[in-house]
Amino acid sequence: MKYFWAGCLLAGSMGSCSQPVEQQAHTAVRIRWTRDPENLSPLSLSNQNAVDAANLLYCGLLQADLATGTYAPALADSLPQIQLLGDSLTHLRYQLRSAATWDDGRPVLATDVAFTLKLIFCPGLPNEKVRSSLNFVRDIRFDPTNPRRFTLVCRGQAPEFRFESGDFPVLPEDALDPTHSLRRLSLARVVAASADASPIPALTALAERYQKADIGHHPERLAGCGPYRLTAWETRRFLTFERKPHWWADALPAAPLVLQAKPLQLRFSIIPDDATATLALRRHEVDVLPQVSAREFKRLQASAAAQRDFAFYSTVSYEVVTAGFNTRRSILRDSLTRQAISKLFDPARLLQATQLGQGLRTVGLLHPTNDRRYYNSSLPLPTYDLPQAQVLLRRAGWLRQPTGWTRPAANGQPEQLALALCYRTEESTFKTIALQFKAAATLLGIPVDLRPVEGSAMTTTLREGNFDMYVRIQKGNPFAFNYTAILHSRTANEGNFSKFGTPTTDRLIEAVDAATTPAQKRQLLHRFQAMLQGQAPLVPLFFLPYRLVADRHIQHLYPAAIKPGYSAPTITWADKAAAAPVQQ
Amino acid sequence: MTVLGRWLLAQLGRAGLAAWAVTSFVFILSRLDATKPVDLLLGEPDAQRTTLAAGASAARRLAVEQRLGLAEPLFYVSRAQQAGVVSWQWHGLHNQYHHWLVGLAHGHLGLSFRDGQPIGPRWRAALAYTLPLAGLATLGAVAGSLCLGLALAGGPQSRGWRAGLHLLLTGLQGLPLFAVALGLLFAFANPDVLNILPAYADAATAEEAWPQQALRLVLPVAALVLAVLPELALLLASILSQELSADYATTARAKGLTTNQVLIRHALPNALLPLLTAWAGLLPTLVAGAVVVETIFALPGTGRLLAEAVAAHDYPVVVAGVLFTALARLLALALADVLYAWADPRIRLTP
Repeated sequence: MKYFWAGCLLAGSMGSCSQPVEQQAHTAVRIRWTRDPENLSPLSLSNQNAVDAANLLYCGLLQADLATGTYAPALADSLPQIQLLGDSLTHLRYQLRSAATWDDGRPVLATDVAFTLKLIFCPGLPNEKVRSSLNFVRDIRFDPTNPRRFTLVCRGQAPEFRFESGDFPVLPEDALDPTHSLRRLSLARVVAASADASPIPALTALAERYQKADIGHHPERLAGCGPYRLTAWETRRFLTFERKPHWWADALPAAPLVLQAKPLQLRFSIIPDDATATLALRRHEVDVLPQVSAREFKRLQASAAAQRDFAFYSTVSYEVVTAGFNTRRSILRDSLTRQAISKLFDPARLLQATQLGQGLRTVGLLHPTNDRRYYNSSLPLPTYDLPQAQVLLRRAGWLRQPTGWTRPAANGQPEQLALALCYRTEESTFKTIALQFKAAATLLGIPVDLRPVEGSAMTTTLREGNFDMYVRIQKGNPFAFNYTAILHSRTANEGNFSKFGTPTTDRLIEAVDAATTPAQKRQLLHRFQAMLQGQAPLVPLFFLPYRLVADRHIQHLYPAAIKPGYSAPTITWADKAAAAPVQQ
Repeated sequence: MTVLGRWLLAQLGRAGLAAWAVTSFVFILSRLDATKPVDLLLGEPDAQRTTLAAGASAARRLAVEQRLGLAEPLFYVSRAQQAGVVSWQWHGLHNQYHHWLVGLAHGHLGLSFRDGQPIGPRWRAALAYTLPLAGLATLGAVAGSLCLGLALAGGPQSRGWRAGLHLLLTGLQGLPLFAVALGLLFAFANPDVLNILPAYADAATAEEAWPQQALRLVLPVAALVLAVLPELALLLASILSQELSADYATTARAKGLTTNQVLIRHALPNALLPLLTAWAGLLPTLVAGAVVVETIFALPGTGRLLAEAVAAHDYPVVVAGVLFTALARLLALALADVLYAWADPRIRLTP
């Protein structure tokens, strides 16, 4: 046995000695991913890594600018011009960049955009998610005088149409429809077919061609006009993207951030385990470690060698850890009870315990710093307050008995205040929150049943309403303020897991969505945040941080509050002599 | 046909039947709850996104179910209960189970829920990682257990290095595999301790020489070996110790054989039967171990494939995994029976 180990050690030493750790002439960047993108079909991007990969291969009309937290024109030469028609239609006028071309030099035209939209609405393809995000688009109208100009006809009116209408990868028409047979079919007809699932031979043939091409695993068969091409993909091991030597945006005199692509090679290594990924970074086997857990971040920061080699970044994301109530439960139907139970959470200490104090406490769902102009800072932050919780419970009609808190229910029988709290098992943050809540509730004499739920079953549990309370992450973004999906009574059987909604609150949410001027929006959002605290269907505890550790010679990462939390295509390597340790 | 041939045929038939029964059970059980994979594919809504029109959500859900084949009846018959009256409905051949079974008979394992791709190539690619890993681990564990078992049984275990080794193996046996794997990782791929082995498998490049690529398997194989070695070694040592106290061993020693000669020539062949059972039982441990080891060392093998499929409710991949595991387990047991007959001529194989 000792010879075995001696052999391993000797061979290992030889191997490690011969391993080059220098970057490939400072042109390649190696980034850790926790999971495989699984599918690179632009119609069914199944996770964030797939979205990030698609952004390297394809260009959208608009793309998120991580530096400013806004959408910026990519294939479009500017943000669309909006024209409201009556009270139910919106026209969005786009103009494509004249420099934008496919790899073979053909220009990107409005017909390519129309073809992409037809694919998105084509029945029989796995496009349900992207189709639902563009479900307001009804038709496309071309400008007969300019093949790069077109108008999207949208049903309804909402400020976010301006951004969401351009957030999809534009695909080349010639790759899947070289005879342009689909041009005879209007987008309106395709949209109608997707709604009633009526068979149209041209669409059926298109769906078959798309499926047969297996775009999800062979994106080169539908080459986009993005800056990179996929050169290697070993499923659940790594993906390598090579920079196109001649990319159309290189010709732009001053390329905006969303059209910059610096590294000649981007290699994404799939390393599921955090500890392994940290060691890989320490060994310089990867250069960028995004989404670092608090534990690994702390461990790396504690190492003098790691401090010397790496830069540490932390930004406050748009993901807010939220506790929610099932407002259909009789014990949680009134806002006073929900307010009282909200007082059992200790956001300040939980933020310290689970996130090293990084992240931000909040009064509501708006980002305290990035959405400062709409954030209602006059409201108090949620705090841990047991005496106040008791007062509120008594005001809600609860009486503390030796057996617990009871009050008469609607049927005259006494009901007891006892709670079942669901959370995802794989997140230690949720477990800590649940345990803190249970400890506080126990002090008050409220029995709490903790129900860790396997991650993939959580959505079903929430949608079906099999819970009293939950702790989960509510994702947001900086682009719009539409809370219908999560708090409107219309969505009580879908994404509104708390099943909350009254006519008054519904009207307020609709008004927020429809507000057009900043002043009007500010006033309505202040009211919305006050309503959220008063009604307490959910309790935003704190915004999570995104932590990022990277080789200290890496520059232009643009650590950001929106996923993936950094910009891979803009990365450059600094001169080693000039680079200095960075901590943000 | 020889007796062994008939016996093998019967064993294979039984194994195939048992694997079909187990897999069918898992198939039906998994498909009873079709909501979770659909929920996962549709995802949770983000705040601040445009919401669906009324009824669009149900239509979207139905479209996903139809695409995955979940809108069809599950089995040939279904049971319905209305107003206390139970009724059975015959669905004919257009049901999920029938389509799966016909596909299986033609060698098609089905399509993944997640990306609609055939499952067979995915399993083949994963097996290309797991088979060498598990094979090397099995060889290492068998060879290691023979060496350590003989060494432990070769003298009194009350003191000296044998006592230390016994204690070490007992301690290792009590450690969970993830602790062993992480311990190896932090010991041998850590710039703060020994930085001599790769931290994970992917750093390999096409240009890398095969010895260096093989180096990347050292830690995963070592972790798996350490997961199964203590049990096998301690078992063998215990059996050998019992054999050494038997009359035939005393006689052999009286004839002038050394302890080692008695151990290898006489005691070891007699200890083989229970050891064969333990070796045949290695498969479940290795399958379970592969999940942990492949996750920690970033190896894209079957363990990780199965674990990720279970987490994503990708039932076709899970069902295929159950089929492979059941077949491998049953074949391992059949192989153990053959080896029994080889090791002990008194055992007769009857079809």
